[in-house]
Amino acid sequence: MFKKAQVAYLIRESFAGFHRRKLTTGVTILIMGSALLVLAILTLATLNMGNMLEKARAGIDMRVFLHEGLQNEQMAELQPRLMVIPGVQSVTWISPETALAQFKESLGEDAEILGLLDSNPLPASYHLILTPDARHLKAVEAIHAEIAVWAEVSEILFNQGWIDALETWNFRFQMASLAVGLIVFLAAVFVISNTVKLTMAASARVIQIQKLVGATNTFIRIPYLCEGMIQGMLAGILAMGLLGLAGWFLDDRLGGVIFFSPQQIFGFILFCIVLGLTGSFSAMRKYLTMQSEM
Amino acid sequence: MKTESTRNGPVTGGPLDSRTVIGFYHVDLAYDDQKAVDNVSFTVANGEFMCLTGPSGAGKSSILRLIAMDAFPTKGEVMVRGMLSSKMSRRKVPMLRREIGFVFQDFRLLEDRSVEDNISFVQLVVGVPHAMILKNNMRVLTQVGLYDKRHRLPRQLSGGEQQRVAIARAMVNSPKILLADEPTGNLDPVNAQEIIDLLFRINDAGTSVLFSTHDHGIVKTFGQRVIVINNGRIESDEKRRVPVDRKANLADKMYIAAARKDRLNV
Repeated sequence: MFKKAQVAYLIRESFAGFHRRKLTTGVTILIMGSALLVLAILTLATLNMGNMLEKARAGIDMRVFLHEGLQNEQMAELQPRLMVIPGVQSVTWISPETALAQFKESLGEDAEILGLLDSNPLPASYHLILTPDARHLKAVEAIHAEIAVWAEVSEILFNQGWIDALETWNFRFQMASLAVGLIVFLAAVFVISNTVKLTMAASARVIQIQKLVGATNTFIRIPYLCEGMIQGMLAGILAMGLLGLAGWFLDDRLGGVIFFSPQQIFGFILFCIVLGLTGSFSAMRKYLTMQSEM
Repeated sequence: MKTESTRNGPVTGGPLDSRTVIGFYHVDLAYDDQKAVDNVSFTVANGEFMCLTGPSGAGKSSILRLIAMDAFPTKGEVMVRGMLSSKMSRRKVPMLRREIGFVFQDFRLLEDRSVEDNISFVQLVVGVPHAMILKNNMRVLTQVGLYDKRHRLPRQLSGGEQQRVAIARAMVNSPKILLADEPTGNLDPVNAQEIIDLLFRINDAGTSVLFSTHDHGIVKTFGQRVIVINNGRIESDEKRRVPVDRKANLADKMYIAAARKDRLNV
């Protein structure tokens, strides 16, 4: 364990680098902050995309059309059978008359054209709302497969192409985010690592003397690790600050866009601190194994 | 002193001899198959002043590196303050270094820090309390005659003064061994003599001093044990007669007495 005087020295030295190397440290924080800003934007976009997907998924439903000529009892007994299918949240009966009324409403001013019809061509149907966990292609297909074999059912409609596209784009976006995130992560580690290497090269004599008088590697390392962590934290705060500022300026144009919660901001800054620590650690591992050049 | 003859010079005591602070036992050190130290054996007793001399590239610095355990023997054994190189883990090296003071030809001071900060720095590293640091600074800087210049930067001092700061820094943590690698190499004869006198005073107070130099002229001016090394091998190891003018004068005696009274190491 370190003595009180050593702890005080380590704390002082952790911040001393910012004073001694203002320009290098400032540039590092700016570069790292820019990389982290890209990461933050990407994370925010992923977050909003996920939110949009959730909203879009809420619209995933099924329309089960029935054959013409079925008795009311026959159609009524389908309702409890549909209700017990896993993934079905609610079932609504839509009579041919209701369907026509809805169709008329959707046509608006062009509804007059329906006056040309002799009879109602629309069949009776059931509208199925799905539970949130069943709002994906696999579950929808399973429900479709179960209902499609029923003799009373003539056709089942669900927006397969739209669900497909939604799933595909979601997957692609997640992969792209992961790839860009990884690149940004490596770039940030590289920037921090190089800065710490420069710092250590500038402090070569100090380190050499420390080693000669019996400082342990841990003791030598701590101020540089702390410096890296502080740099990471400041870069994270800078990135979040810039993003928050941009959000504030563009608030009117970005209606509906959700920003990070306080917990997410805390998590992001914590991640930046770990990033700084990783960069510093990778720089020092090599440096401290070097001999003291006596 | 118990002495035995070997091919490469006398060996005093073994690893268990409590008087031995440094022991080399048939030591080889090679860098990429090139032998820098070749079957070297010698010991340094507690409180001994030993001079290591030889031309540049003879292996003097390699021997100092072996003592500081900055390098480890490829063959043989090095013992420093009871710690054996073969049983030394890298984690323990810093503890050993706290027992050794280092002085170099190029002073190796921190140019952006004052004289006092240079000396405080090495104490902070080993956790000396702040109040003690101030006391120690006053003690060592007075001893090297630079207390009045404690706020100056190294570049504002002469070469001799800078070397005295380096010696003060090496001695402030009260090491048992002082390794001086060409400490007079950058100094004029007057300053060089002052540094040698200072090292003798340190030695008189009980610290073992290993003085490395390529300058035979300096070695001839004082009579101490001298090991001559060439091509990594010991050519001679002999104790020279102490000349009359090297015996401690009255001022030195008073200084040493005062230092001992204050339980100082210098």
